[in-house]
Amino acid sequence: MNARAVPVWDLWPDGIEWQPMSPKLRTVWVLRSLLNMLILAVIAAVPLTIWLGWEGPLWALGGYVVLAGLRSLAVARTVKTWGYAERDQDLLVRHGLLTRRLSIVPYGRIQLIDLSAGPIERMFGLTTVQVRTAALASTIEVPGLDPLVAAALRDRLAVRAAEVREGL
Amino acid sequence: MSAEAEQVHGDEPAPPLAPEPYGPMPYTPSAPPEGMQRQRLHPLTPLLESVRFLTAVAAAVGVQMFTSRNFLFAVYAALAAAVVGGIASLIALQYRGFVIWGRELHIYGGVFTRSHRTVPLDRLQSVDLVRPLQARVFGLAQLNIEVAGGDGTDAKLAYLKHDRALELRAELLSIAGRPGAQPRTETADDSTEDVSEASSPLVPPVTVRKLALASLLEALPVQLTALLVFGTAFAVTGSIFGFTTVATALWFGFFAPALFGYLQSTISTVNRFLRNCRFRITRDGGNLLIERGLTDTSHETVPVDRVTAVCFDEPILWRRKDWRRVEVWTAAVSQQISVLKSTTALPVGSPAEVATVAAEALPDLPAAFAVHRPPRRARWRMPMRWKRTGALLDEKAFVVRHGWWVNTYVALPYARIQSVQVVQGRIQRLQGLATVHAMSAGSIGHTAKAAHRDVEEAVAMAAELRRRADMAAALEAPRLS
Repeated sequence: MNARAVPVWDLWPDGIEWQPMSPKLRTVWVLRSLLNMLILAVIAAVPLTIWLGWEGPLWALGGYVVLAGLRSLAVARTVKTWGYAERDQDLLVRHGLLTRRLSIVPYGRIQLIDLSAGPIERMFGLTTVQVRTAALASTIEVPGLDPLVAAALRDRLAVRAAEVREGL
Repeated sequence: MSAEAEQVHGDEPAPPLAPEPYGPMPYTPSAPPEGMQRQRLHPLTPLLESVRFLTAVAAAVGVQMFTSRNFLFAVYAALAAAVVGGIASLIALQYRGFVIWGRELHIYGGVFTRSHRTVPLDRLQSVDLVRPLQARVFGLAQLNIEVAGGDGTDAKLAYLKHDRALELRAELLSIAGRPGAQPRTETADDSTEDVSEASSPLVPPVTVRKLALASLLEALPVQLTALLVFGTAFAVTGSIFGFTTVATALWFGFFAPALFGYLQSTISTVNRFLRNCRFRITRDGGNLLIERGLTDTSHETVPVDRVTAVCFDEPILWRRKDWRRVEVWTAAVSQQISVLKSTTALPVGSPAEVATVAAEALPDLPAAFAVHRPPRRARWRMPMRWKRTGALLDEKAFVVRHGWWVNTYVALPYARIQSVQVVQGRIQRLQGLATVHAMSAGSIGHTAKAAHRDVEEAVAMAAELRRRADMAAALEAPRLS
């Protein structure tokens, strides 16, 4: 591996304590990607069946197993890159396996904080915190938090946002 | 803000609130008494508002007239239109009007669906005077009233006599307690060469000749490329399929979307030229007043404390002339969505003029920046524009430069940075590069993007941006709308 290829967030001047996401997040995301792939496989099976006859569904199944396996591996590795850190003045979120992103949101600019949980996430008891600023492009997500942790994070963020209020 | 806070906290116990409420007091609308005399709009309003419809009807009647050779039909149609339109206008006018009641402006409208709009003048942001062509013919004008925290649509008062509109604008501004409230000594014939004007323009007026040349130079590369591409495509397909009528028709059908886009860009260039004619920018207290337009005159107000960023555009053929265009981004919140507006503060100008306007829009902003280029190993990724790309942490603003066709400097003051992102693509990672995004309020396109910086520099830049943004934001009072 290239010496330069360290993740961009490890170069931050002062050390940051990254909070990991809940370990269940990997399961949730792998399941979600498996489901998505299954839908794709079913859609792909129709023309394959018309084209190849009864071998079509088998091909679709085989393709599904291979692709879903690869995808799950990628997703499982991606989950590890997620992390967030609360600093004095801002919230840092990092993620991305191939394209690495480090987002920095100052507390003073936070306009809205949403909690959301999809069906699979709910099954495993996870919650996503979404933080919005006035810039439409910068909605920051912190996925895969324990509901209590998420609520606590939201309350902390809300209090900090009210304390240091900055304009547009 | 109170609605937002509720939404944030949901049904959970709310965290302790800040000692005092932020922003303006909650606004409670009131209604003026029933018998209050409404001020009417100009009687020609319904006619002018339906001018497009009337034109379409007239065209249809004209076609009908010429095809059927029945000239009486036109007479009947005109008579019927006059009677019906007149009665409808009279009825409509009864229900339309406005009242200034205390610190509110009430606008009434609609016959079947009544509408009553209340404009809290405390939250007035700007009152723009617009004069569309059809209204100018009759010496009328329209007022666009923009309010902080509104639903994004301007309240409109259309149409009023021009001098009445100016009076009303001054009245509204004075109620709102805004600078620029004194009725301006502007004569009704809106001549730009009027020397009796109280405030003198910041820069000498842009002559039509210079503007025309600038527009031409700006459009020329696009036009030439488009013509070249279309010509080549036409020649190639022609040599393959022959130049028969069918082949040509098919060709035009196939390229219709591209041709349409080309046509539209040409029209927008011409429109922009017409809009920027007779450009005049003046400073009035905390506002920049912009008046411009050849066929449709418009007056715009840019509050200087609301400026989010200043852009300097340099189309490729302007380089030799050393001309620049200045655009100013202003942000406002409406319904939790920030809207960013880009206003031309100078359509074309020499470096000195550009510097004047820039310094007015953002105090102490220089107009020339010595930006640092990305490292050399990024050059193959942008061979043409590498030399003209760069970033700089200036004294007051984060400055980035990008673009080849149109080279742009974006100066984003530190106090206006909403959030910062460092993004590293997969090839960038192998090269040890990263891109820094500094986001301003508003839509997705409006970010200052320093592309392909060295990784360590990028991260340090992001940290520094955050530090400076905090420092700059601490210096100024929060502005929530």
